[in-house]
Amino acid sequence: MSAILAVRELYKTFGKGSAQVQAVKNVTLEVAEGECLAIVGESGSGKTTLANMILGVMPPTSGSVELDGEPLTAKRTLAQRRSIQLVQQNPLSSLNPKRSVGASVRLGLDVYNIGERRARDRMTEAVLADVGLPAEMRKRTPAALSGGQRQRVAIARALACQSRIIVLDEPTSALDVLVQARVLRLLDELRRERGLTYIFITHDLSVVRNIADRVAVFQAGELVECATTSTLFESPQQAYTRQLIAAVPVLSEGELSLRNSMQPEVADE
Amino acid sequence: MSDPVLDIRELTLGFRGYTGYTEVLHGISLSIQAGQRVALVGESGSGKSVTARIVLGLLQETRTARIKGELSFMGQDLNTLSKKQWRGLRGTQMSMIFQDPTSALNPVFTIANQFIEVLRRVDPELSRDAALQRAGLLLESVSIGDPGRVLNAYPFQMSGGMNQRIVIAMALANSPSLLIADEPGTALDVTVQAQTLELMRGMVADKNTAVLFISHNLGVVREFADQVSVIYRGRIVEQGATATVFGNPGHPYTRALMAAVPRITGGGIPDIPDNSDTFLQPAVIHDASEGAAT
Repeated sequence: MSAILAVRELYKTFGKGSAQVQAVKNVTLEVAEGECLAIVGESGSGKTTLANMILGVMPPTSGSVELDGEPLTAKRTLAQRRSIQLVQQNPLSSLNPKRSVGASVRLGLDVYNIGERRARDRMTEAVLADVGLPAEMRKRTPAALSGGQRQRVAIARALACQSRIIVLDEPTSALDVLVQARVLRLLDELRRERGLTYIFITHDLSVVRNIADRVAVFQAGELVECATTSTLFESPQQAYTRQLIAAVPVLSEGELSLRNSMQPEVADE
Repeated sequence: MSDPVLDIRELTLGFRGYTGYTEVLHGISLSIQAGQRVALVGESGSGKSVTARIVLGLLQETRTARIKGELSFMGQDLNTLSKKQWRGLRGTQMSMIFQDPTSALNPVFTIANQFIEVLRRVDPELSRDAALQRAGLLLESVSIGDPGRVLNAYPFQMSGGMNQRIVIAMALANSPSLLIADEPGTALDVTVQAQTLELMRGMVADKNTAVLFISHNLGVVREFADQVSVIYRGRIVEQGATATVFGNPGHPYTRALMAAVPRITGGGIPDIPDNSDTFLQPAVIHDASEGAAT
């Protein structure tokens, strides 16, 4: 497997002087084609800043982002921008409330000039069907949909652009548990069918365990641990990773014993 | 058994709107003893938060709301209270913790001023110095090491976890008999959430406070509550001790909810059917003698 996306020695600094904050510090990562890489860490650990730099909406202070081995410059080509798409946490704020679902999904086709103009309505319906939404939904506005349906629209919008990499920023944390399971399953199926690459940002480790191939753990802007999902959950190397796993609320005895094994052996105090 | 702190019998709620009357709660019964932690679990729109608002007397002030059913608090019939009497209970004998601490606190007042307001609800003559001293002690009890700095700060200068601890300290400041916690950890990070819940559990155990805990996170409920009521579309579908409900879920909806939670031990993402006819089956009520369903 070759790396479809790589970030090399990436730094991002906000502010000046004493108010300076290093949001991302010296991050080097590779993402293989077709892989689902989870990025975990608590709020303020730099997860979203990293995603913004990968998406090109925020320039790095130093370092580079490479797509297919080629460094991306500040001014990306249409094809480069099309390759990497975003699904955000809250579809109610990421979707335009005044625009119909169909128009939102079709916008990407128009912007990136995908397919014949006459065929685009049909393509829109096809991609809505792919995420499990009936064609008549196309005429509705986001307000007339449920939370799960809205998030499906957001996913359809990213898929419509025929992107190769989708950055998912907490895609299910605003959803109920039953809806979350259905959306996660949809995401997983889509990735397998289409060979998509996911960068899955979340702080929910139980979701990570079931969807990601590899996990990158962030703490205060630094990449502290990166391993395959099974390695990370079976033998986490960093105290911080163990702490994250130990904080997950669990349901069954099996999980409880896994979690208890993460507690630090000797108390600090 | 002594009188329950809160007893709800056959509570129904409906709203009158342009399209007629819509019923959202179809007869909820729930009872909480002193020191008991009762969780109300369900998806969004199932009626969790409106139940809390009715207990606090807040929804009664909405003109389109139609509320029926018996509500008793410490042996007192809440339906007979005047608005003023009800207002007297809120913040003193019953208090609430909201989901998002940063929006629950007023951004233009310092923590000190907001704390004084809370403490003066019970003792209007309390001097500023005495109030600040008590506030400092209360903040220390929620593991805030530097109460002086926090009291002089504004809510936006602090992290979400810090604000939630302040809200907990305020909610418990007047030693209420009943605490309603509406998704208290949802807006927080997983590590901070775990610490916050641990802290809350310790505080309510010390003061023997009855807690109505509202959440959609089953893992959190399992760790925090000792009684669980699962609510679906305005109906309680399963009720019982936490260990019983989680160990031996009787209702199809409870089973679906449990199956839908991703496990940290792996096992993949469950396949949840869209068909939910079985979710409307009659409720499964586990009685106190463990396991037996009636």
